[in-house]
Amino acid sequence: MIQVTFQADPERPPNIKIITGYQMFKRITGSSLLILCSLFTPLSPSSASEQLTSDRLSTSALTREGAEKSLLLSVANTGKRLVAAGEQGVIVYSDDQGKKWQQASVPASTLLTSIKFTDTQTGWAIGHDGLVLKTADSGSSWKSVLSGNDINQLRITALENLLGSMTTDNFTPEQIEDTEYALDDAVIAQEEGPTSPLLDMLFLNSSHGFLIGAYGTMLETRDAGQSWQFIGHKLPNPEGFHLNRIYQLKSGRLLILGEAGLLLASDDKGQSWLNLDSPYDGSFFSAAESDALYIMGLRGNTFRFDDQNQNWQRVELPVAATINDAIVVEDQIIMVGQGGTLLRQKGTGFEPLGKRQLRTFTSLTQVADSLVITGETGIVHLSLSGKEAAQ
Amino acid sequence: MNKLSALLLWPIQTSERLAEYFLYTHRKLVLGLFLIATVILGWQASQIRPDASFIKMIPSSHPYVENYINYRDDLAGLGNSIRVVVAAKNGDIFTAEFQETLKNVTDELFFIPGVDRSALKSIWTPNVRWTEVTEEGFVGGPVIPAKYDGSAQSLEQVRTNILRSGQVGILVANDFRSAMVQVPLFDKHPDTGERLNYQSFSEQVEELIRDKYSSDSIDIHITGFAKIVGDLIDGATEVALFFAVAFLITLALLYLYSGSVMGTIVPLICSLAAVIWQLGLLKMLGYGIDPYSMLVPFLVFAIAVSHGVQIVNTITLESATNGADKIQASRHAFKTIYIPGLTALISDGIGFITLMVIQIQVIQDLAVAASIGVAVIVLTNLMLLPLLMSYVGVGKNAIARAKRNIAKENSHWRMFSVFATPKGATMAITVALFMLVGGLYFSQDLKIGDLDKGAPELRLDSRYNLDNAFITDNYSTSSDVFVVMVATEEEQCSSFQTLSLVDRFQFYLQGIEGVQSSISLTDVSERVTAGLNEWNLKWRSVSRNQFVINASLAYVPAGLMNSNCSLLPVIVFLDDHKAETLKTITAAVEDFTDNHQVEGIEFLMAAGKAGFEAATNEVIEDAQYEMLIWVYSVVSILCLLTFRSISTVICIIAPLALTSVLCQALMAQLGIGVKVATLPVIALGVGIGVDYGIYIYSKMKTYLEQGHSLAAAYLETLQSTGKSVAFTGLTLGIGVVLWVLSPIKFQADMGILLTFMFIWNMLGALILLPAIACLLNPYGKTSNKVEP
Repeated sequence: MIQVTFQADPERPPNIKIITGYQMFKRITGSSLLILCSLFTPLSPSSASEQLTSDRLSTSALTREGAEKSLLLSVANTGKRLVAAGEQGVIVYSDDQGKKWQQASVPASTLLTSIKFTDTQTGWAIGHDGLVLKTADSGSSWKSVLSGNDINQLRITALENLLGSMTTDNFTPEQIEDTEYALDDAVIAQEEGPTSPLLDMLFLNSSHGFLIGAYGTMLETRDAGQSWQFIGHKLPNPEGFHLNRIYQLKSGRLLILGEAGLLLASDDKGQSWLNLDSPYDGSFFSAAESDALYIMGLRGNTFRFDDQNQNWQRVELPVAATINDAIVVEDQIIMVGQGGTLLRQKGTGFEPLGKRQLRTFTSLTQVADSLVITGETGIVHLSLSGKEAAQ
Repeated sequence: MNKLSALLLWPIQTSERLAEYFLYTHRKLVLGLFLIATVILGWQASQIRPDASFIKMIPSSHPYVENYINYRDDLAGLGNSIRVVVAAKNGDIFTAEFQETLKNVTDELFFIPGVDRSALKSIWTPNVRWTEVTEEGFVGGPVIPAKYDGSAQSLEQVRTNILRSGQVGILVANDFRSAMVQVPLFDKHPDTGERLNYQSFSEQVEELIRDKYSSDSIDIHITGFAKIVGDLIDGATEVALFFAVAFLITLALLYLYSGSVMGTIVPLICSLAAVIWQLGLLKMLGYGIDPYSMLVPFLVFAIAVSHGVQIVNTITLESATNGADKIQASRHAFKTIYIPGLTALISDGIGFITLMVIQIQVIQDLAVAASIGVAVIVLTNLMLLPLLMSYVGVGKNAIARAKRNIAKENSHWRMFSVFATPKGATMAITVALFMLVGGLYFSQDLKIGDLDKGAPELRLDSRYNLDNAFITDNYSTSSDVFVVMVATEEEQCSSFQTLSLVDRFQFYLQGIEGVQSSISLTDVSERVTAGLNEWNLKWRSVSRNQFVINASLAYVPAGLMNSNCSLLPVIVFLDDHKAETLKTITAAVEDFTDNHQVEGIEFLMAAGKAGFEAATNEVIEDAQYEMLIWVYSVVSILCLLTFRSISTVICIIAPLALTSVLCQALMAQLGIGVKVATLPVIALGVGIGVDYGIYIYSKMKTYLEQGHSLAAAYLETLQSTGKSVAFTGLTLGIGVVLWVLSPIKFQADMGILLTFMFIWNMLGALILLPAIACLLNPYGKTSNKVEP
């Protein structure tokens, strides 16, 4: 009886480009321009974070029937077990290649954005409010090891230390001033609370790992999560663009894909980063290496790195849908994305795999001759021939 | 005991003497008064209007409904809308002709009074837009391009825009063969303050939309509460036609039975007068007539005729056996019938009054209407009728026929008198016990609430339900909506704390069996937050930053929060509205709120169609046994006072109880649930059914006191009144059996069940009553063989 639709303002004339989504978002969340928001927000409840009687960071995830049908954003395959994570702190695992799923016990209930394993036992899950979870039993139970509050403090500490080490001898006054501004922002961010989400992670081995997230957040651990360092300010990312994905390429190079065409690379395991020339100024969400490196982003914008000419070449996809994740199966990339997009590489192009579905897919993994895909309505099984596998 | 009952019966006995004296000494004056009253009340009755109010059909004192009423204004528009679907019979919606029709239908609906024009939605209204994220941000526009000209090219543009608008399954069918116009209505017009007239609204929609635009290529489907109410009122009015049919059948039967023209016309006139008085009094007391109380005139007419028959029968016998003149016969009949008649009517009335324990206004109104009805029967059929008969008499033919009947032995009644012998009685009671066990067994499946899909008020194959099924099949929203109201302090409905708790709540609900999906302000905030982040699902979460939340709620669809942000409805779509589904969900919500006590945030049940049904079911489930206890206690006490013997009470009540059990078994087997419409049936059945027992027993008692054995007394009773008891059952049955044809499902259900109860109660009184009397032997007289 009730339908809810999401529309732009009906008052606005048609076909006129409206302020960029992420620019607006940045302004809203960017700590220095808070006043601006009150101009276009009809509601202004007083700060609600005062009473934290049931904060999702410290409230265990509800276990419920059919949790594998909720919004899931990431799936990991330990070789023995499939583990997927998503909304409300849901982590589900399956020991029979995705037929039956069980819900893990998780001490928080925020939206989890990524899940990775360093071996069959040890795994990590990250998510909103800067939550970092760790498992030592293949994903059956999880412990909270870090939260956005810790990250805010790490950020301040990192900047204070940096500022303390800065002298006019080795830094320009602008550099020092920028760092002071960065520290101011960090202090304001701390007052706001753990508002920014972590979006992806990479572990080079069982102890050395990176976490990346919104507004240029980046953390590093060298001792399997015993201690963390904030390193976001070390990246050549002055705008504080969101960092969406981090990969290690076959060459050993680290690659970060970010908002607004941001491409960062490191050839020394994350010690130093350089800003690559970008073929596109929209966001990238995924990358995969088959015959070459492919990077995929907003509205199906996909580029292949031509080793010979050392440049990016545009690859046309059959649909203009955002690609969220990609894996390589038998030297061919399979990618999933918005509106049920599922494409398989053919030569240097891509073609649809199976009948297009409606719901957005977020990540995928290969299990024997089929794919286990996560998305808006949870787990979907597809055979590699494109048919929906029997559940 | 005797003193007490004497004290209680004293008014009845005194009134008998007073009434008799007054009636028969001032016959003309009394007739004049009756005439004047009938004219005044007849004029009033002609003013009575059909009326259907939503709030009356739900239990107003149930906490769910109280919560809803508290927030009714804030929830305005939630549910009160109609949906009009324009469907292409051949091909899809992407033709110039179809789009032209859709545009016209949208425009036409816009101008119908009562429509909330600003919220009207179809792909042709400017408030429905498509949006898309590009590198530079959002782009968007109306679904129908400004340059639309019906060309193939612009239709292709419409197709693209629809896909981008996210309206597939909402305003456009999943198969692209139909499109919907959503028409929110004002319950009360904001400018004029006028209440929506459902009937005229429904008529206008039929006339201006369905009749005008249905064609060889276009089908129109309409659903929504306003349409249900409109159809209910239309259907209820149609039922009035049945009244005429029932009247004619009764007329024919009455003539066959009495063999007297006057004995036919006078009871009918008096019974009609009872109906007129009842309607007139209702109008004077400020009642309208709704689809439930619409049935009361039928009952009143049937009850009135059955009492009239008793009087005419007595007058005929009196004239035939004692050769009394018109006045004497009438006076004697009055004296004979007045006390059992009054007792029977009082028990009817009290049976109806027990319905008042059910806190649902339509049932209480029905109780009032029916009680008024039996009260006026006392005046019209126990007083006016013998008075009129004292002028006209039953006629020579009828008397002659009665004499012939008395002379010849009535062999078919002898058959029934077998049940007053120990052998027959044992047999009858054994059979009855088997039936009781069977009845109890089959009534185990008895369900509470409505069981069918769609609008349960109407028949499954009614146009409304077909339209509803069409929409359910082709669009992605269920019509079984359960609304949980989340109340907060002012300006707190969109706080991070509220939204994240509601987020958890909705996640929890999604795991409850029977829940399809749910939607609330939280979804808007989450989706827009993801939208502001390039539709990246990794951002589909309630932001912890209040400013982001506020920005995400810059454009909130109507109905998801109130104006001062103290209420946030969570709209839950259910698989169906079966009682178990509703119970599961209410228990689940209670469980959640018990485990999530947060200061300043309250989860209140329940609004929405399914929410009210849940409340109604709870009330009915509780009231079901309470009502049975009341109606049986009251009727038993009344019998006890009249006959002053517990065995007698058992004789009269036990057959009724058996019928009640069998009726429940019948309901379970026919898939009729215990609901607003069927709950009163048992009270009505018992209240009216007890009449038979009272008439038979009082007559039999007279013969027993004259010294006859039970079997002989019973045979005498059957020969004198058996026929009229059988006739009464028939008349009552005819009064209600026609409802089975009603276009309104619950009236049909009531028709089936009441017919069953009236007939079975009659058989119970004729067979079981003497059998039980024989075994219990209340008068201490034995009879081992049937007397000739």
